[in-house]
Amino acid sequence: MNSSSPHPPSVSRRQFLRDGARVAAVAGLGGLVGLAASRSTGKEWVWQIDPDKCVRCGNCATHCVLEQSAVKCVHAYALCGYCQLCTGYFEPEPNALNTGAENCLCPTAAIQRTFVEDPYYEYTIDENLCIGCAKCVEGCTRFGNGSLFLQVRHDRCVNCNECAISKVCAGDAFQRVPADQPYLLKTTH
Amino acid sequence: MSTQDHSKNRTECGSDAAPQKEALSQGAPAPLNRRRFLVQGTHGVGFLALGSLVSGGWTTPGNAAVNRFAYDVERFSTTDPKFLVYDRAGGFPIPDPAPRRIVFSKEGQLYVAGKRGVSVLDRSGGLIRLIEAGAPVRCVAVDGNGQVYAGVRDHVEVFDPAGRRVRRWEAPSKKAWLTGLAVSKADVFLADSGSRLIWRCDLEGKIIGKIGEKNPERNVPGLILPSPYLDVKVGGDGLLRVNNSGRHRIEVYTADGDLELFWGKPSAAIEGFCGCCNPVGLALLADGRHITCEKGLPRVKRYAADGTFEGVVAGPESFPKNAQAGKARDSEDGTMGGLDAAVDARGWVYVLDLVAAEVQVYQPKGAV
Repeated sequence: MNSSSPHPPSVSRRQFLRDGARVAAVAGLGGLVGLAASRSTGKEWVWQIDPDKCVRCGNCATHCVLEQSAVKCVHAYALCGYCQLCTGYFEPEPNALNTGAENCLCPTAAIQRTFVEDPYYEYTIDENLCIGCAKCVEGCTRFGNGSLFLQVRHDRCVNCNECAISKVCAGDAFQRVPADQPYLLKTTH
Repeated sequence: MSTQDHSKNRTECGSDAAPQKEALSQGAPAPLNRRRFLVQGTHGVGFLALGSLVSGGWTTPGNAAVNRFAYDVERFSTTDPKFLVYDRAGGFPIPDPAPRRIVFSKEGQLYVAGKRGVSVLDRSGGLIRLIEAGAPVRCVAVDGNGQVYAGVRDHVEVFDPAGRRVRRWEAPSKKAWLTGLAVSKADVFLADSGSRLIWRCDLEGKIIGKIGEKNPERNVPGLILPSPYLDVKVGGDGLLRVNNSGRHRIEVYTADGDLELFWGKPSAAIEGFCGCCNPVGLALLADGRHITCEKGLPRVKRYAADGTFEGVVAGPESFPKNAQAGKARDSEDGTMGGLDAAVDARGWVYVLDLVAAEVQVYQPKGAV
């Protein structure tokens, strides 16, 4: 009876250190395993613009760290009306519906207008010229079907940890999306 | 020693102080010691910081900056008062989150097509009854007997005056996307944005003709509809008014499909139809004049029977929610906001705001 003491056995300094080292080693190993596991899933994230939140503020053109913004206008052809008077292409009050620079909305002439058949025209974006200013997007969204919209193009984006545009995005439209599904595209009904 | 040295220094300084005082009295600047330099420097930094705060220099540059790429339609967003020929007489909300079309019945009741069905309202907006169609109703018409025709995407549901379902018409085509309806004594006309034409049906739903389809032999250019807003109205003269929005004009057809005349031009200026595709809604006054509705720059205008611009019922400033681009994007419906209108027997215009889900009532200027 006397041998079963109610007090726990005292821990010596050596034993304490040894146990502590074991716990630290196990914790470290767990951390390594966790890190390896997370790396092995390959889940990477990239920046993208939610077109439904975009307010066409113009910041994409001026705040990207790249000299020419990685944000470009893209075109959902299935939504496009192929309008003769495209409000994404023409100034609000054009002198004539032709390709004269004075009639065009895009500040860098990045939209090409091609005749299809009377009275339909196709509009394509030259991404080398597009600066992502969203002027055409506003025109198309205000009057048309909203087939023109902005997206971060991942052949150019350097995927900054803190995207400079996202910090100033007026519509809070920038978000992280999985790298294997890097675009948020508009679709038809 | 040190005390003596200090006193000595003071004495020495004192010996030089006399010329300094003399210089100060003559307006020369005082020399800066370290303490004064630091105090003045702190004041300077403080003032600079305060100035930056006041001027907004510390706010986020992107948010504070003016958008130099702005799409500028500001000059069209207010209406010159000299063009206004109507006064606002009131308004009321619609008990439907997504209304689409509005018409008056012969008895003076409002029928509003919307997501929940057809809302039947009195002139002050009181709900008389809701006719449910099992799906969103995109357009509606009421004949002289009170029979209700409701366009449900690709087909028509017919209801008796009490709101009981009478029958269902089959879809006129696989591409049907009904966005407008009109009824005369013997015919019902279905504005089909999907097929880009007007179907002429008898009162039993049997198709007896097509109107507006491209036909060079009959000199019909065809309807251009970048967005699904095709509308149709039947005038007292028996002629159909159709909005060919992609061509920015109103076309007038006989019931047999002959194009009689057309009018309208593209322009953001007040007398024209703005944007890519307008007008999006139509109403007819008893004397044959037209009320037109536009989207993008939401405005309601009145034109004479021959298309001469007469004045503005309500301009973009009357529809602030509607004027915000993209606010009403509905990928299910394919619509981007807009307006529709109905006219009562007095000539008052009831404007349906698709974005705000409300009706605004306008009476002609000078009307009692």
